[in-house]
Amino acid sequence: MIFDVSLPLYLLIALILFCVGLYGALTKRNAIVVLLSIELMLNAVNINLVAFAKYGLYASLTGQVFTLFTMTVAAAEVAVGIAILISLYRNRDTVNVDEMDTMKR
Amino acid sequence: MDVKDIFSYDWSYLLPEFIILGFATLLSLIDLFMGKRANRAVLGWLALLGVVLAGGFVISNMQELDEPISYMADMLRVDDFGNAFKLLFLGGVAFTLLLSLSYLKSGEVRHQGEYYYLLLTGLLGAMVMASSADLLTLFVGLELLSLSSYVLVGLRKKVLASNEASFKYVVSGGIATAFTLFGMSYIYGLTGTTNLYEITQRLSEAYASGFGFLVLLAFACLVVGLGFKISTVPNHMWAPDVYQGAPTPVTAFLTTVSKAAGFALVFRLLLVAFIGLFNPDQVSGGGRVFLEELSVYLSIVAALSMIIGNTMALRQTNVKRMMAYSGIAQAGYLLVPFVTLTSLFFEQVMFYLFAYLLMGFGAFAVIMVVTREQQTEDLKAFAGLYHRSPFAAVAMSIFLLSLAGIPVTAGFFGKFYIFWSAIWHENYWLSAIMIATSVVSYYYYFGIIRQMYMRPGSTEARLVFPTGAAAVVAVTAGLTVLFGIVPGAAIDYIHANFNSGFDFGSMLTPGR
Repeated sequence: MIFDVSLPLYLLIALILFCVGLYGALTKRNAIVVLLSIELMLNAVNINLVAFAKYGLYASLTGQVFTLFTMTVAAAEVAVGIAILISLYRNRDTVNVDEMDTMKR
Repeated sequence: MDVKDIFSYDWSYLLPEFIILGFATLLSLIDLFMGKRANRAVLGWLALLGVVLAGGFVISNMQELDEPISYMADMLRVDDFGNAFKLLFLGGVAFTLLLSLSYLKSGEVRHQGEYYYLLLTGLLGAMVMASSADLLTLFVGLELLSLSSYVLVGLRKKVLASNEASFKYVVSGGIATAFTLFGMSYIYGLTGTTNLYEITQRLSEAYASGFGFLVLLAFACLVVGLGFKISTVPNHMWAPDVYQGAPTPVTAFLTTVSKAAGFALVFRLLLVAFIGLFNPDQVSGGGRVFLEELSVYLSIVAALSMIIGNTMALRQTNVKRMMAYSGIAQAGYLLVPFVTLTSLFFEQVMFYLFAYLLMGFGAFAVIMVVTREQQTEDLKAFAGLYHRSPFAAVAMSIFLLSLAGIPVTAGFFGKFYIFWSAIWHENYWLSAIMIATSVVSYYYYFGIIRQMYMRPGSTEARLVFPTGAAAVVAVTAGLTVLFGIVPGAAIDYIHANFNSGFDFGSMLTPGR
C-alpha cells in the first residue's frame, strides 16, 4: 500500500465531519439542509465505528454491525422528519426554520 | 462468549415485551381492516388490555426469578432493575391510554389507530431500554421510543403548533442521537465490545493506558446526548415547545414515561459503564474517577437544570410550557442521587420517579380537561375552578403541592430522600441550590392555586369530567397522599422486591 492511513486520521475526519454537521444543523435556515446536516453527524459516527472496527484497541466486527444499525435508524429518522416537514409545509407554506416561531417564548 | 442456539433460551420471561409487540401488530392490522367510520375507542381498550396483561407477566417474572436472566450475551436482560422500570412504564402508559380515550373523542386527532399503536411501540422501546445491557439494543430501544414519540407529537396534522413541535422535536432529537452515538463509538473503539459489563472492565484499562481524554470525550458526548431524553440543561430547549404543541396525553407520556426511560438509560450507560474507572496516578489506593471527577460535571448539569427550569417557569403564562420548565427542574433534582451515590440510590430514584409519575399524570389530566373546556392553555383557564369543580381543584392542589415538595405528599418524601443523600455526601452547594430553587418554584405552583381559589372565573357552570380522566385524577391523587403519609411502605416494597443487583455500598469512598 502506498498510503498508510492511520487511525488518528480517520478519527480527525470523523470529528471534522461531525462538527460541520453540527454547525449546519444549528445555523442553516432551510429545514431540508438541517436534516441533511444531521445525516452528516450520523455518518461521522459511521466512519468512527468502521475505523475502530479495523484499528481499534480491540479490533472486532461488532463495529461494522453497529454501523448497519446506525444507517437503518438514520434512514427511519429522516423519513419521519421529512413526513413531518411535509405536513408542516401544507399548513404554513414554508420550509424555513426561522419562520417556525408561532409558539411564544 | 459461547454461542447458544436461539431456541435454547427460555423466552417465556420476555412475555411482557412479546405481548406489547403482539398487541401493537394486532392493533395495526385491526385498524387496517376496520371501516373508515368505525369507532376507534375499542382499539384503546384493547391496548389497555395488552398493557395490563404485560404488567401481570412482569409481576410474575419478579416473583419467579431470583437471578437475572440474560439473552444473547446480555443483548436483553430480565433483572430487577429492568422490572421495576417496566412496571413504571406500563403504569404510565395505562394512565396515558385512559386519558387518551377521553381526549380523542373531540376528533382533533384523525388517525386514532396510529395513535394507539404508536403509543405501544414507544412503550416497547422504553421497555427494551430498561432491560438491556448492550449498546446496540439500548440504542435501538432509544430510537424506537424517540421515533414513536416524534410522530405522536405531530399527530394533530392540521394544527400548526403540533407540526412545529414535532419538527423541532425531530431536529433536536436527531442532534441528540448523533451525540449519543458519537460517544458510543468512542466507547466501542476503546473497548471493542458493545456489552456493558465488558465495557466496564476494558474502559478502566483504556483509561489507565493513556486514553483518558477519549474516555472523558465519550462521557461528555453521552451526557449531552442523553440529556435530551431527560430534558436536562444542555439539551432542554425542545421541551417547552414540544410540550405545548403535543396533544396533552402525549405530553404527559413524554414528561413521565419517556423521562423515566431516559433515566434508565443514564443509569445503564453512565453509571454502569463508567463506575469502574480508577485513577492510576493516585498513590492512595486509586480513587474512583466517576465519584471524583465525572460526578462534578453531572452535578453542574443538575444544578443548571434546577436553576434554569425553575426561573424560566416563573415567566410562563401557558400552563403546559410552565409544566415543561417544571419538568426540566425535576430532571435536575433526579440527577442529584446519580452524583451523590449511596446504598439507597435505587430506592431514591424509583420512589421519586413513581411519585413524579403520579403527580405528573394527575396534573396533566386536570390540565387536559380544563384547557379543552376553556379553549385556552393560559393560566387564566384555571380561574374559579374551585367553584366549578371542587374535586378537580382539590386534586390539582395536591398535585401542585407534591410537585413543589410540600409535606404530606409523595413528592415531599421523594425530594427529602434525594436531599438527604446530598447532605450525607457533604455536597452542601448542591443541596443549597436544591432548597433555593424549590422555594422559587413555590411561586409559580402557587400561582395556579391562587387562580383556582381566589380569582373569579368567566363562568360558574359545573365542569364535567370524562370518566377516564376522572379515574386517573382520583387514583393519582389518592396515591400521592397515601405515599405522602406512609412513604416507608413504598420504600420497603422497592427494597424487598427489587434487588438492584448493583452493590453501591462498596463503591463509596471509605470513611463516609
